[in-house]
Amino acid sequence: MHIAIWQILVLTVLAGWMIIDQLTLVLIGNYPLLVGLVAGIIMGDIKTGLAVGGTLQLMVLGVGTYGGASVPDFMTGAIVGTAFAVASGKGLSFAIGLAVPVGLLMVQLDVLARFTNTYFQHRVDSKIAEGDVPGVSRNILYGSIPWSLSRAIPVFIMLTLGNSVIQIILKDMPKWLTSGLSVAGGVLPVVGIAILLRYLPTKQYVNYLIIGFVLAAYIKVPMLGIALVGLAMAIAYYKNNEKLNEQKLATATNSNSDGVSDDDDDEYED
Amino acid sequence: MTTTNTKIDKQKVKELHQANRRWLWGSQIGWNYERMMASGYLYAILPELTRLYKDPDDLKTMMATHNQFFNTNPFIGQLIIGMDMAIEEDKGISSKEAVIGLKTGLMGPFAGVGDTIFGVILPTIFGSIGAYMALSGNVFGALLWLAVNIGLLFMRYPLLKLGYVQGAKLVGEFGDKLNMLTNSAILLGVTVVGALIPTVVKANVPFVYRSGKVTLKMQSMLNQIMPSLVPVLLVALVYWLLGKKNVTSTKMIIFVLVLSIVLGAFKILG
Repeated sequence: MHIAIWQILVLTVLAGWMIIDQLTLVLIGNYPLLVGLVAGIIMGDIKTGLAVGGTLQLMVLGVGTYGGASVPDFMTGAIVGTAFAVASGKGLSFAIGLAVPVGLLMVQLDVLARFTNTYFQHRVDSKIAEGDVPGVSRNILYGSIPWSLSRAIPVFIMLTLGNSVIQIILKDMPKWLTSGLSVAGGVLPVVGIAILLRYLPTKQYVNYLIIGFVLAAYIKVPMLGIALVGLAMAIAYYKNNEKLNEQKLATATNSNSDGVSDDDDDEYED
Repeated sequence: MTTTNTKIDKQKVKELHQANRRWLWGSQIGWNYERMMASGYLYAILPELTRLYKDPDDLKTMMATHNQFFNTNPFIGQLIIGMDMAIEEDKGISSKEAVIGLKTGLMGPFAGVGDTIFGVILPTIFGSIGAYMALSGNVFGALLWLAVNIGLLFMRYPLLKLGYVQGAKLVGEFGDKLNMLTNSAILLGVTVVGALIPTVVKANVPFVYRSGKVTLKMQSMLNQIMPSLVPVLLVALVYWLLGKKNVTSTKMIIFVLVLSIVLGAFKILG
């Protein structure tokens, strides 16, 4: 079993579009789950695409490119992982074992693309000096070329070479590695969760962390149900604070600030 | 404070939408290490500049002004452009300093709020629901997320016009509301993260202790202490490590990958 030429081409286009989508519309490109779904459709196996994308998604929940930091590109990982998992029939842990290193290596190419764009930034400078307005516009849009190629070329190469390489890997992959990778697939979401907890003001909201945990671990409420409970608490929080704000405004306009200020301290009680 | 509602004509609406479209497609396409979203901002406001500044030297000055360092969240950054356009239309080139102040003053706070809501909270909530369903072969969660992303795209559309009409008073008036909204969203996000730990982290301990006739199953002992004890401890470990100097998300992914393979090989995790 191997990957058809048209599939390689369509997946390459997907990789090239994916990064542009990340930077513009943000429909699928930022999210391994949705990229995996599309890759699964192209490969004719939606279930595998969902499983690969979903597993990778959970690993990067907290990982974002704030301030231009480069992060593991598990979207590209999802494309390559799904394609090879379907082609080889080796299943999820094989796909994850492939997708994670690919995602980590792709960091270097993300850096390269961001670096290359500095060239166009300087071309924009010189077009401004010339007063060439269409030239300014054009050179800004040229930025899409390094971006797009930084994903499309590696995916094309990996998928093309992969057909022969994959046979060798399949034969020689030791048992401890395949079982170890399936363990890793289950444990890796720990990183994403820990990053999220670092990013969010967790200490301030630790009570809600515990509520979410208890609902899931002890009562086994499905994820959508927990999100709804969270939404209910969020609405209550918003309304409480809205009231407090109005009171604050009212006292401020009455200009007597005696004795009301102690309201502020217990706004979280429930 | 004048309450003369700025009624804008059809031509202006068209121009605002044009700027918005150009922000959507161009804001991050030229992203580079030197000036980040500088050229993206210029791309969005360029047609407005050519309309406002008929003198070629003025135009060059303002193009250069808008080609300086800029970085914010692409989901809400167009509010700044709207405000900017209103000011420049009113005051012309004499507003140069004011506009630079507006941009540098607002880009940071807007990035903070926008990245938290659109970069962390929403992907966490919908990503975990979607991935959770995807792992059991259900595509609904992924499609729900796609629908949300399409909805967000429409939400981004009127923001530039809002910035233009409301101007700088927007920041003061909605500042409190936005703060409360962000906090409510964080509350919801933290609840979901709490639920993620027991549902998505798979770390069972298959180790069985045998001594004579006594066999102790490690996992059932652990479960009596608390369900999902090992996932909680692992998250705590990575959370703690992430607080150390020079520890990046990429390093943690590699660390957890290696740790899982080793522990899996020794049958401590499985």
